[in-house]
Amino acid sequence: MAKYDLQGSLDLLVLKTLSQHRELHGYGIVRHVQRASNELLLVEEGSLYPALHRMEQSGWIQSGWALTETGRRAKYYRLKAAGRKRLSQAEEDFAKLVKGVRAVLRYA
Amino acid sequence: MGVLRRVSNLWRRERVDAEIEEELRSHLEMAAEDAERAGMPREQARRKARLRFGNPAAMRERTAWADTAPALDDIWRDLRHTIRQLRRSPAFTATAVITLALGIGATTAIFTLIQQVMLRSLPVVQPDQLWRIGDAASCCFSAGYTQGGNSRNDWSLFSWQAYKFFRAHTAAFEELAAFQIGQGNAELAVRRAGSPAPVKTEIGEYVSGNFFKTFGISAWRGRLLTNPDNREGAAPVAVMSFHTWEAEYGSDPAVIGATYQINGHAFTVIGIAPPGFYGAKLASGGMPDFWLPLTTEPVIAGKTTRLKNPAIAWLDLIGRVRPGTNRKTLQAQLQVELHQWLASHLADMNSQEKAVWQKQTLHLTPGGAGVSLLRQKYQDGLRLLLVAAVCVLLVACANIANLLLARGLKNRHQTALRAALGASRARLVRKALVESLILSVFGAVAGIAVAYAGAGLILHLAFTGPKTWAPVDPAPSTPVLLFALGVAVITGVIFGIAPAWMSSQTKPIEALYGASRAMQRNSHWAQKTLVIVQAAVSVVLLSAAAMLGQSLGNLEHQNFGFDPGGRYLISIDPKISGYQQEQLVPLFRELETRMRAIPGVLSMGAVLEAPPKGWMTHDIRIEGRPEPGPREDLSSGWTRVTPGFFKTLGDRIVMGRPITEADNAATRPVAVINQAFAKRFFGKQNPIGQHFGPAPEKNAGMYEIVGVASNVEFGNGPEEPVYFMSEAQSTHFDQANLEGREIWSHYLYNIVIWAPGNPPDLVAQVKKTLGKAAPNLVVSSVQPYPAVIYAGFAQQSMIASLTWLFGAIGLVLAAVGLYGVTAYGVEQRTSEIGVRMALGADRDSVLLLVLRGAFWQVGIGLALGIPAAIGAGYLIASRLFGVQPWDPLVLSGAALLLALAALIAAIIPARRAASVGPMQALRTE
Repeated sequence: MAKYDLQGSLDLLVLKTLSQHRELHGYGIVRHVQRASNELLLVEEGSLYPALHRMEQSGWIQSGWALTETGRRAKYYRLKAAGRKRLSQAEEDFAKLVKGVRAVLRYA
Repeated sequence: MGVLRRVSNLWRRERVDAEIEEELRSHLEMAAEDAERAGMPREQARRKARLRFGNPAAMRERTAWADTAPALDDIWRDLRHTIRQLRRSPAFTATAVITLALGIGATTAIFTLIQQVMLRSLPVVQPDQLWRIGDAASCCFSAGYTQGGNSRNDWSLFSWQAYKFFRAHTAAFEELAAFQIGQGNAELAVRRAGSPAPVKTEIGEYVSGNFFKTFGISAWRGRLLTNPDNREGAAPVAVMSFHTWEAEYGSDPAVIGATYQINGHAFTVIGIAPPGFYGAKLASGGMPDFWLPLTTEPVIAGKTTRLKNPAIAWLDLIGRVRPGTNRKTLQAQLQVELHQWLASHLADMNSQEKAVWQKQTLHLTPGGAGVSLLRQKYQDGLRLLLVAAVCVLLVACANIANLLLARGLKNRHQTALRAALGASRARLVRKALVESLILSVFGAVAGIAVAYAGAGLILHLAFTGPKTWAPVDPAPSTPVLLFALGVAVITGVIFGIAPAWMSSQTKPIEALYGASRAMQRNSHWAQKTLVIVQAAVSVVLLSAAAMLGQSLGNLEHQNFGFDPGGRYLISIDPKISGYQQEQLVPLFRELETRMRAIPGVLSMGAVLEAPPKGWMTHDIRIEGRPEPGPREDLSSGWTRVTPGFFKTLGDRIVMGRPITEADNAATRPVAVINQAFAKRFFGKQNPIGQHFGPAPEKNAGMYEIVGVASNVEFGNGPEEPVYFMSEAQSTHFDQANLEGREIWSHYLYNIVIWAPGNPPDLVAQVKKTLGKAAPNLVVSSVQPYPAVIYAGFAQQSMIASLTWLFGAIGLVLAAVGLYGVTAYGVEQRTSEIGVRMALGADRDSVLLLVLRGAFWQVGIGLALGIPAAIGAGYLIASRLFGVQPWDPLVLSGAALLLALAALIAAIIPARRAASVGPMQALRTE
């Protein structure tokens, strides 16, 4: 039995995005998700930052200030070992969720 | 880890906020830049980004929420704000904290003692497995085959034989231990073998060999008693208590294994019991210094031994039951065993005992707290004091509530402003409650210090005198600290509720008023109610204190049947001093001659035990009367005296003659009886020349009555019968217990001296004379008689003084409260008073106006308080001696005292009001 909720899917998106970059700022995460999902998914800024801060407090990711390519100061996030573990768990849970939902939809 | 970081974020909230701010700003700008790069005009790009972003303030809040624990954060902010505010008004804070410290301190001090005396378990392994056979705590041994006061069928004490019977037949007990009740034969004279030091008087307790094992106690040093030590004929050994080892032997390790002469017999001290273990019995004095095996009792007691007499019950029994034992089954089994044991003694019973032996029963009670004479003695008094302390706490609460209300009114404008700016009602209430809780927690911390000092003081008041060490510790323990914390939270809520409610009623619109008046009537009414409650509670406390004080005075100055003035009491112990019985009469004769040589001494007499120590009782039989029925009470007290006793104590002989030098071994045994004896057993008959003796019937002709003395309060009650035997006469009995008692009773414990007119240095001279005349005689004290009497009322005195103290604190707090409310009222009405004066009112009428307001509150307080005080009087009626619960003198005294305090408290603001000039008053508007 897998547990899954909406907050879980945001966590999954953020963690996955960060796993594919060395480090990324919040705006970068929004852009990446938008691009990678072919503009299908839009991460709400209003949910993103609380989620980022929560994940940092939980020790999944860490943050630091750095300059962007355009020379602007931004806060960069980077995945930690605990976050990587969390990510594989979340991916597994999500796969089960998809499988389960699909089974329900196919059931005639 | 996350929690720790969140808590640490609380401390640097401003920095966290700033960081989030910057992070969000950089996001916005990057979004705007991208939009601009995509060809959108600059302004529109910014607008779009911002629109998508939503409310930045709300988002910042939610992001910060993730960094800190939200509720915690708000409370923390309230906390810091409140502490800052309190620091800004030190006078207010100090007043509140001191008031609370007094209230919480008084309550906690009493609770400390209650916890120590009534709630605590013995410091032993798994006290819940311990069960005691019996339910009454007795000081003294019991003779015969019935027990239990008037009902005569409830067993709590047992003989050695009965103990061995229970131990052998009750499998449910893993171990069953026996230990000696009270003191009796165990005053010890202890001297290190071969040492020239004077003997020390110590208290011993005889215990069974498995005593320490039953309680799961292991030795601090050396080893403890075991079953082999308790075998008859084993080498005599003793265990010393830690307290004695530390206090009297300087924790000397050489004590262990050393040989001591105890009452002239060599005992090896094999070990020291652990600290905190004081035995299984808790009393206000006579705690054991040594534990000795039961089988050494005959060695020390000699001919007065009780060990092998099955008719003498002198042991308490506590056992450790096996897990899973059913208490009811065990009790039923023990009841059966008691009957089996009694059945084997049918031949020894008298007719009264034979009639009721099958009705004898016993009860199994929890034994984890041991046998507590202390609890029995002090529990009612402590409960009373706890109630008084809670009253003080209530008055203190009312005062703080009043202070907070006044303060709330002063800060009203600010509060209204907060409400207008959107602070929710819950937030206002929370802030007010946080303030009161902070105050009460500060008060509790100070109160614990007050409680520690207070409990120490109470112990000092309650246990004064030599050998009255009791294992009661005033230091706050965990339950006491929890209690103080609980009291602080409860009081904080109690005194915080009214001000919190008031502040929640603040309407934002009030922020717009200038000098607001809208709600003042309402809260002033609340303040007045609090003052009324304070006045009522103070009256109750004061009248209770007055009643208890008067009762104490009555006790101390009651008619004892003799005048303690001009008399002195010497306590001695010829038995442990090694005197033989035939040396005693010459000893007392010699002492009398020497004492009378001291200037000012008129006479001397010795007695087994002098008032107020009481006497022992037994059943008597009167010659020529039929055997009494089972319900007939033929018990009488008895004691033994030298010829000088009646004259020295001032006990008048109302008929016949006193005991004289002629009543000696060569003449027939005689007795002097008291008036109560004559009245109960002879009615209107002339008792002189009649004969009686201790039961059974065959002794009825033993003593001839030669005189009747007036009743003296020995400690058993003034109307109780007693008879006096002559020190120089001795009789013999077939019954072992009577014979033992006969021998024991010649070792008189008290000497009374009559030396009226305060002869200078008398006590010192008496001590010197004793030292010269009988250097070996153990003398424990020489005291003026009134001091002895007062010491007997130490508990009543402690309770009365503490209730006075509580009453005084309550009164002062109530007066302060009244002052505060009156002064506040005057301040509020300054302009009104000014107008009145401008319209022609004179100073006196203004003074009266203010005083009338104050006394109106005090009057209602009295109207409520006096019936409550009468009710309280009825509740404590059992503690009152010669005082009615509704004594009008006491009540009017208390009312007067309160009125006086109220007058002082109200006159200061009233005079200030009267000195208001009309112009000044109008200008304050």
